[in-house]
Formats: sequence, structure tokens, C-alpha cells
Amino acid sequence: MTLLRLLTWPYVRKHRLRSVLTLAGIMLGVAVFVGMHGANQTVAQAFAATVNRIAGKAQLQVSAGETGVPEEVLEAVQSVREVGAAAPVIEAVLNTNLKGQGNLLVLGVDMTGDRSLRDYDIEGGEEDVVEDPLVFLAQPDSLILSRKFAEANGIQRGSRITLDTMQGPRQFTVRGLMKSDGLAGAFGGNVAVMDIYAAQFIFGRGRRFDRIDIGAAEGVDLETSQNKVRAVVGEGYDVLPPASRTQQFDAISRSLSITINLTSVFALMIGVFIIYNSFSIAITQRRNEIGILRALGASERDVLRMFLAESAAAGLAGSILGLGLGLLMARSLSPFMSNMVRELYGTHQMPDGVSMSPWTMAAAVALGTAVSLVGGWLPARSAARVDPVKALQKGRYQVLSEGENRIRRIAALVLAAVSIAIVVTRPTLTIFYFGYGLMVLALVLLSPSLSHWIALSLRPLLRLIRPVEGTLAADSLIQAPRRTSATVAAVMLSLALAVGFAGVSRAIYTQLLDWVDDTLNPDLFVAPTESVTQRSYRFPLSMTSEIAQVPGVEEVQAVRTVRVQLKGVPAMAVVVDVRQVAGRVKYKPVDADPVEMVQLASEGKGAILSTTLAVIRGIKKGDVLELASPEGILKVPVLGTRVDFSDQQGAFIIDRSLYSRVWKDETANAFRVYLRKGEDPEAVRRRIIERFSSNRKLFVFTNASIRELIMRNTEQWFGMTYIQLLVALIVAVMGIVNTMTVSIADRRRELGVLQAVGGLRNQIRNTVWLEAVAIGTVGLVLGWLMGAVTLYYNIEMIGGDMAGLDLDYVYPFRFALALFPVIVGAAFLAALWPAEAALRASLVESLEYE
Amino acid sequence: MIRLSQVSKCFDGKRTVTALHPTDLHIDKGEMVAIIGPSGSGKSTLLNLIGGLDRPTSGEIELDGERLGGLSGDGVTRVRRDKIGFIFQFFNLLPSLSCFDNVALPLHLRGWPRAKIQQRSQELLELVGLGARMEHLPDEMSGGERQRTAIARALSVYPPVLLADEPTGNLDSATGADILRLISDLHQRLNTTVLIVTHDMQVAHAAQRILTLRDGRIADDRRL
Amino acid sequence: MNRWIIPALAAIAATAQDARQIVDEAQKRARSNSQHYEGTLQVLDGKNRMAEKRWQYDRIGAFGDSKAVLRFTAPAEVKGVALLIHNHKDRASDQWMWTPAIQRDRRIALQDRSTRFFGTDFSFEDLEERDSAHHDYKLLGEETVEGAVCWKLESQPRPGRSSQYTRSLVWIRKDLYAFVRVEAFRKDALVRRIRYGDFENVKGIWTARTLEVEDVTRKSKTVMKLDKLDYNVPLSESGFTLQALRRGS
Repeated sequence: MTLLRLLTWPYVRKHRLRSVLTLAGIMLGVAVFVGMHGANQTVAQAFAATVNRIAGKAQLQVSAGETGVPEEVLEAVQSVREVGAAAPVIEAVLNTNLKGQGNLLVLGVDMTGDRSLRDYDIEGGEEDVVEDPLVFLAQPDSLILSRKFAEANGIQRGSRITLDTMQGPRQFTVRGLMKSDGLAGAFGGNVAVMDIYAAQFIFGRGRRFDRIDIGAAEGVDLETSQNKVRAVVGEGYDVLPPASRTQQFDAISRSLSITINLTSVFALMIGVFIIYNSFSIAITQRRNEIGILRALGASERDVLRMFLAESAAAGLAGSILGLGLGLLMARSLSPFMSNMVRELYGTHQMPDGVSMSPWTMAAAVALGTAVSLVGGWLPARSAARVDPVKALQKGRYQVLSEGENRIRRIAALVLAAVSIAIVVTRPTLTIFYFGYGLMVLALVLLSPSLSHWIALSLRPLLRLIRPVEGTLAADSLIQAPRRTSATVAAVMLSLALAVGFAGVSRAIYTQLLDWVDDTLNPDLFVAPTESVTQRSYRFPLSMTSEIAQVPGVEEVQAVRTVRVQLKGVPAMAVVVDVRQVAGRVKYKPVDADPVEMVQLASEGKGAILSTTLAVIRGIKKGDVLELASPEGILKVPVLGTRVDFSDQQGAFIIDRSLYSRVWKDETANAFRVYLRKGEDPEAVRRRIIERFSSNRKLFVFTNASIRELIMRNTEQWFGMTYIQLLVALIVAVMGIVNTMTVSIADRRRELGVLQAVGGLRNQIRNTVWLEAVAIGTVGLVLGWLMGAVTLYYNIEMIGGDMAGLDLDYVYPFRFALALFPVIVGAAFLAALWPAEAALRASLVESLEYE
Repeated sequence: MIRLSQVSKCFDGKRTVTALHPTDLHIDKGEMVAIIGPSGSGKSTLLNLIGGLDRPTSGEIELDGERLGGLSGDGVTRVRRDKIGFIFQFFNLLPSLSCFDNVALPLHLRGWPRAKIQQRSQELLELVGLGARMEHLPDEMSGGERQRTAIARALSVYPPVLLADEPTGNLDSATGADILRLISDLHQRLNTTVLIVTHDMQVAHAAQRILTLRDGRIADDRRL
Repeated sequence: MNRWIIPALAAIAATAQDARQIVDEAQKRARSNSQHYEGTLQVLDGKNRMAEKRWQYDRIGAFGDSKAVLRFTAPAEVKGVALLIHNHKDRASDQWMWTPAIQRDRRIALQDRSTRFFGTDFSFEDLEERDSAHHDYKLLGEETVEGAVCWKLESQPRPGRSSQYTRSLVWIRKDLYAFVRVEAFRKDALVRRIRYGDFENVKGIWTARTLEVEDVTRKSKTVMKLDKLDYNVPLSESGFTLQALRRGS
């Protein structure tokens, strides 16, 4: 401790910038970790909070994916003796048309029945929630709003608000306000309650509910009542505690979690390198001091302990700062992520602030500190081993020992060999991921040697550009591996991540475009909302013929997309008239005869799977899908698989005849409209809108605009690439600034000589800039190389394991090339300040400097 | 050739230290001058001021008709690279560059064409007797060879003024004498104005004029 | 509507034989095969001003096993809303509601009988027809209420019979055998007070044409008036089915 105070603190104060950068390295790693996990947890938490608050005291819920529960089931459930209370629920998310308010979660409940389950209490307390319950029930436009929402929007009892419904924008009358706790706290407080039968009517649910909430009868345990209810409703329905919806959320957002974990691991690894870098540099600079200490009797252990204590302290401080920054990041990231999750998975939640488990926060700080210790370990050990005699002599000690390098290279080759063996044999997925880790480690170990070679080959090039400045810059790089290798490795890692992700994105994009070209070929699409993934609203099937009668329309294909429980987890069913659609869309199965597949599917004798669903659920052609249906478990043979991007979690196509027969659901989520030859899509679009303007809310998209919409949604997911790229850039800039501040100190005499023999200011700047650019370039080249490797693994992971896509390995050359100016620019930026600092140094002192 | 009028230099720190009190000095073209004095007497400061490595606190320095005071940083550097060659006690060669590249360094900085640089560097190295060691790195050469390389570098454009700060200070006496001979030889052959800072009286006596500095003032100015 | 209320609160059997006799006599005198009236209801609680409601009421069948339809006629927001009640001797009544705006009937699956009846000061329990055998009572003496001499009785639900009230005080006019006042207690606190007034003899049955229910804790009052009251009118069973409710005759 005394050592730390006497020696470290003055050093930290002297090298303020570098100390800040060291902290920033850890901070960044921890912040990315906290930010990503925080946002994810916030969204998950928001979802859970909404689920729990809506569930109230319900212990069980009867549901059937998105197909809903017929009213008869409610009566059946209510007849079960072990059931204390059973209440139906309809949930819908509506656009409020209010500035800055976004969506409103509208809950349809039976106001005359389920008060024991839900915490909304329409009469207790000081004031009545609803002034006149009879009027409330008699008028289907009645709404109870959460007080919070009402107050935020200046709404009072009796106010009218307009919400978008299936019948177009509709006025609702606020007939009650509820306290902002309990139910009203769900969905960030943007909650409204209406009568369930009015909700059925307004949201086109027919005689169905979305769910039945159940409370067990007094003295009956949960399991007994669960079994009894199961026996009554049959296997076609899920009878589960509300918390299981949260688990389902985890299951469906798994791919997001993997991406987040991957990014976090990379961010923390980058933190290791930044710490390693700073400490290596510090130790090189403090050799004298260490030598004196050792000469004065400090043991190796003392020195080791001192440096480890330094790195732990830096790690702790950086982690705590990173935690703060990460929470800020999470706050701004979570609405974005919530949006994405809603678009992708169709869940309702409204994140409010940041909620993160204290465990994760503690883990983040612990990880940051550990990372710092790991990064500081090697330099600390080499500091401890400093020979006191040699340390007190003057000279350069930058060169890595050849032995050290050889050991690294051998270790790297062994790791790479193991990793390749894993790739070849493919034992299990976990081991495959482990192999990925080994490969990354191998490349990291190899990076000093690789960067040495690259620097060597850069030398003639730099010499050509600038004979003096270039050569000196390259030499500086070659001769001080300790100074640069960690920065280079950090840049390499972060760029590899970005390249790997960009490659996968590109590959998915290509397939997505193919799919869009093949499948989304109608001239117009009619949908009830502006978002293609929102499924709160539906159309009656009868609209098919109404649209078909609009002049210019040749054919209309109704599409119902609905999540059905497949072995307890929802999967997207795409319900169409298969024969009709096959007339327009070429189904290209990867494993079946298309003619036979379409034939059988159109007869309702099977399903066509997306490859994604097949991979995620481990189903192949010839297997049987076990779908939860009103008739119990419906067994549908798998006829074939094809690439299909209808849903990120995978989808399957079944024929309308089968679906209507079993689910008795005569609605559609969208219509695919083909026009007669020579018709102007815009003109027909207007005609359709006019035709239905009086009684339906609908959006008509042209082919171009739907493509744009889908691409935009996809871009959002790919937005991750940009976040990673940003992190890569920050890492590059930080690492390079760090290295360059040391470099100019190390090169002080050289730069002095250069000036003494006639080097102009710009020539001095040039050499500093060129060194930085060279570091960036070496990192970039290594990043390109490693990116090629990570891309392979990403294709296997994201393509294979997560999305079930057989992606082609196509290196993202354009992206990689585009990185060149970006990294060079970043490196240049990073060198600006060090270059000026170099110029400010006194010439006379520089020349005497040793 | 070199004219100093009322040139002084103070260093600001916790208390101001006067390294050189206002000094007038005139050195003619072709003179070889030794500057001697105990350490801290201001002899290196004087040399650095003349060479434009440092700026005076007051006074005016004129070098071959150019007033340094009115010039920008780069302006001073230009004067230095065209008119002055520096020789240092610790050679100040760049360790990563070969002997040849070290000599070529100032020529590259001037932006000379490669062929011309090649020719001139070779010529210079032969002049200092290192024609055979061109591709060696400084670490691979002896102290004398290194100083010869440094001298070749200082002569790169045949500057009218050569400034040497303890050129033999880091060499054994035999090598030192060798280097001194080389410098005197060059002085005669090229008619270069030479200023040598030294505390070695033997070196000083090779000059035609000896300036003795004491406590930042010229205590003695003696022509031999 | 008073046809539900009176028996409910009068379902009071006493430990003392004479107390039970008084109640039984009161119930017997109020008995009829069918009933019709037009009701008006107003809630007065200072804060909320609920619009006055009007409805038509028909009942068929004997006490404890009757069927009733209640159809609102005013105000406009609730016009057409109808309730169908099937009372059972052995279990809680079945109730349905028809809302014309969405053309839906619904079963009112009420799990908590202490909840208020559509924002009035009645609770659903107050409206049930229940057998007097479910209560024990005791004669406390005689008192004069609004100029009429009354028996004062105390009733308590029998063990195993759930009620939101722990006990009630009941006043029955000696001359008419009609209820004039009920005070219901939860623990020791008075929660509800009902006053009967405007007695009229219709086809031999003395009926109160004004009821005033006071929710003591909420400090709110509901006043109900009965017009065009008639007993033993010809009504068909077919008018008391779900189909009839939907038709909205």
C-alpha cells in the first residue's frame, strides 16, 4: 500500500492522459457489457413486469399461442371445482396518436367477474374508478385509463380519445381512471382497461379470448388445479403459470442474448488488451524505478504485488465508472432494443428507466476487475523479474525475447490445431463454441508475430511514401512490439468482430433479398397497421372478395400469420391457400419435390417449414409437427423445408382449409393483391383505400414500399454491426492514442535529432502520424484476417445454430475495404495530439534525453 | 559569419537561472573556434543558441547574414539545415538506420532526388573514411566510426558552419585525436567555420581561437 | 326490485319462536306469483351525479325460485340494457346481462357478492332472494319508527352461511307486517341502512313504493321509486329466457 502511494500515484499524476485511457479501456469493456445486458434485462424486466402486473393474482393462464381461446373453454374452466376464479383477458396494443406517448396497452377484462384476480379495484378506495358502471358496460367505447397516462396527457374523466382500431380511428370515452399501481403500472403505465366483450368486438376477436386467467380454489394446490384444468381443456391449450411467459420470452430472444454475450466478451477482451498495453508501457518506463526498488531490497513478490494492486485498483475504478456509463448506455439502448424485440417477437413491453439485477452489476464490476488483473498479470510478472542491475543501466528494453515469441507461436499453433480438429469432427455445439474461443486465443497469441511481419513488409511501402518519416515510423513499430502489440491486438479483435458480423449480415441479407424477390411478389399488400409484424388487428376473411371486386385487381390472397404453440413454444404459422399462392410464388424446397410438396400441402396434409424453424427445433422433413390446437395435439407431417424469413424464430406454412377446420378462425392479417396487366399500382392502391375508407382502417403498401419496410426492419437488427464498429473505432483511437503518447516519449531523442539535422515541423508530424497509421493498418490487416475466421464461426453460429440458414461464406470485401479509410482516419485522429505534444518538447532536452 | 549582439539566455524554473549573460561575439568565416570552460559555464547553451536549437531570451543572432530572431520555428530549421552541421557527444545516430541512411537523412529531409542523395552520401562517407561500412547499423560500429558517420551527416550539404559539442567526449583518446584530425582536415579543405565545445585542452589547442566561458560570460577570448 | 330486497333482509329466523313467526308472517303476506313495476333510481352522494335511471321490471314464479327481467329505459346510454335473473332455492342465482350496443349477452359470474350493484348503494347480496331459514333472530322489543309501532329484531347469519354482514337490525310494522327499516352491520360498524316508505296496498299486498338505501361508510344514498306496481299479472315463462333477453322484446 505504501509502495502504491509512493510510486504509483506520482506516476499516475504525471501520465494523466494515459491513466485516463487505461481506466477508459476497462470502462469501455464494462460499459458495453453493462449496456448490452442492462438493455436486455430492462426489456425482459419490462416484459415480465407487464406480464406480472396484468396477471395480477392469477396463478395459471390458459392460452393457445395467438389463436386464442373460445368462450366455451371459459365455461369449461369455470366448471372445474379446483378453480376458484377464472377470468378471460384480451390484450391489444393500440397506437394512441398522442405525441410522445406511442402505444397504449388495452386490456379487455370481464368487469362483472374477475375482481378477485386483478388488482384494479373499480370501486374501492376514496373515489369511484368508474362513475357509472352500467353506462360503462352498456357503451363499448368505454375505457378506464391509468391515472398516470391520463395526467400526462391532460385527459379527464369524460374526455374522448381517438385510438386506431380495426374499424379505423375510433373515439373512446374515458369513463374511469385507475390508480397508478398494480395493473395500471404495467406497460410503463400506458394501460387502459375496457370491457372484454367490447374488446372482442373492437379487436375482431369473434367469440374468443386471448387468455383465461385462473386462481386456484381455496385450499387447492397449484399443481392439482393445473392438472384438473388440463384435463378439461385438453392438450390444445397451455395451462401454465404467468411466469412461464417470461421464460418463453427468454427462449425467443435467445439469438439476441447470444449476440449480446458475444459482443460483451469481445468488449472485455479488448479491455484486457488495453490494460495489458498500458501496464507493459508503464513497466518499461518505470524500469529504473523498479530497479531502484529491487536494489533497495524489495522482493519479486513485492513488485508483483504492487503492480497487481495497481491493476486491480485501475480495474475497480474503471469498472465502477463503466457501470455508470453502461447504465446510461442501457437507458438509451433499451427503447431501441424494446422496439426491436417487439418487431421481431411481437411482445408487449415498455421499458421505463433501467432495471438490472444487482448480480449482473456485481458481475460486471468483478469481471472488469478480473479483466484488469488478467491484463496486468503478464506485465507485472515481467516487472517482478526485472534484473535490478540491468534496469539501472540505460538503453532500450523493448524487444521481446525470441524465446517468448517462440513459445507464443507454438501455443498458438497448438490451439489452432485443436480448434481445427474440433471444426472437422464437430462433436457438440458447446465444444464447437469452445473451439471458436480457442481459435480467437490462438490468433491473439499469434498477433505479435504477425504484426511484426506485417510491419516489416510495411517498411518498404512507408519508405516509398516518405523516405525518412516513413522509414522511421515503421522502425519504431518494428522495434517496440510491447508498445504496439496490445493495441494492434485490440484493434484486430474489434475489427474482426465487426467484419465477422458484417459478413453474416451480408449473407443473411442476400438470402433475404432472394426470398423477398421470390415470395413477396404481389403488386400490393393490404395490412391493418403500418407495421407488418403487428398482429393486434385482423381482417375478416370476407374482405378477400371485397378487395377482389375493386377494379384493376386480378387476384387476392389472404394471409393469416399466427403464433401457434409448438411443443410449448410459439412458432409462426403462415396460413394461406397453398395452391393459390403456389400459382404466383415458386416454392423452392431444399429437400423435397416442389410439385408433390405443394400438392400435399394444399390438401391440408402437411406443413412447409422454414429452414430456421427446422434448425431451431431440430425438425426435418418427414417428421411430424405437434401443434397445440382446439382439437388437442394436431399432428402435421413436415413436407419439406425452404428458406423463409416470415419470422425470425422460424415459420411454417399450412393450408387455409386445415387451419379453418381446426381453429375455426376466419380472419386474415394481410392480403396479397395482384393486379391486372397494365394497371397502375398507385391508382389501384387509392381505389382500395377509398373502397374501405368508411368502415375499415387499412394500409395498402406497394411492392416497393413493403420491401423497403422489411429492409428497414432488417437493418435495425444489423444496426448491431454499427455499434460494434463504433466500439472498434473507439478502441482503435484509444489504443493508438495510448501507444502514441508512449511512442513520442520513447522517440523523443530521435525526433530531436530529426529536427536538429533539419526536419521541419510537418516532417516531424508526418512521422508520428505515419506511425499511428501504420499501427492502425497492421491492426486492420490482422482484423481482416481474423475477420475471415470469425466470419466462418459466425456463419456456423448465427446462420446454422440460431437462424437455421445455410449461408454462403462470402467475405465482406466492400465492408472490409471501407474500413481502411475509416481506420486510417481514426489512427490519424488519434495521432494528432501526440504529434503536437512531440513538437512542443524542448529540442535541447530531447537531444540530451536518454 | 556569426554575430551575436547582447545575446542572453535565462531558464525559468522555481527561480530564474541565467545561463548566458548578455554577450557580444563575432566569428569570421573560416575560423575554427574552441569554446572551453567548466561545466555549467554556458558553453553548450552558447552553441545551442548559435545552432538555433534554442532561442535566446534577449539579443540578436546573425548567421551568414540571416537574423534568426525574426524567423519562425521552421524558418530557423531551414537556416540550420542549410548553413549548420551538428556533431554531438553521443553521436545521436538513429539506431534503426544504417550508416548510409543516417548520412542520407538530412538530404531526404531536404527532399533531394534519390540519385543525388545516393551520390552525395557515398561521397561523404568516403570523405570520412567509411566507404566500406555503409550498410552497417550504428550498433555494429565502433565509437569512432559512429562519430565519423555523425560528421558525415553533419556535412551532408557542406554547410558553412560546423558545430561540435564535445565531439571526442565519448571516445578514447586515440580515437578522439583521430576525430579531431578529421575535423581540422575538413575545416581546412572545405573552409568551414568550426565551433567546438570541449573541456579537453588538447582539442582546444587545435583551434585558432579559444573562448573561455565562466558563469555565463566570456571570460577570455584568445587567438593563438 | 323490492321483491328481492325485502325477503333478503327479512330472511331472518329467530331463536325465539315469536320472532321467526313475525318474519314468516311478513314473508307470507308479501308473497305473489308475479309482479310488474316501473322503477326509478337515483344515487345521491354529493360527489358523483349519476343520471337517474328508469327501468321496467317483471317477475314470475314464487319466492326463492323466481325469474325476473329488468330492462332499462333511460338514460339513453343504458337504454336497452337488460338483466335476466334466475333465482334458485339451493344455490346462488344465475344472472345474465344484455348489452344492445355490441349485441352481446354475458353471464355475470359474480364471485364477490359484497360488490355494489352497478354503482348504486346496493350490494349484489342485498338483491338476492334468500331463504329465511339461513338466519337466526331474536326479538329485541318494540320501537316507533316514523310514527308507526314496530317490532325490533336482530338477525344473524347461521353458521356456515356466508354474508358480508355480521348482523342486522330489522324493524317490522306491527299493523302491516311490512319492513320499514333495516340496519346492517359489519363487525360492530353500521354499513348500510335501508328505509321503506310510501306504503300502498296493491291487490292486498302492502308494498313500500320508496326505498332509500344508505351506504354509511361511503356517505352515499340511493333512492328507488316504484310506479305502476301490480301483482299477479299474466306473464309467460317464455319471456324469462336468454333468447327472450336477446330479442329485447
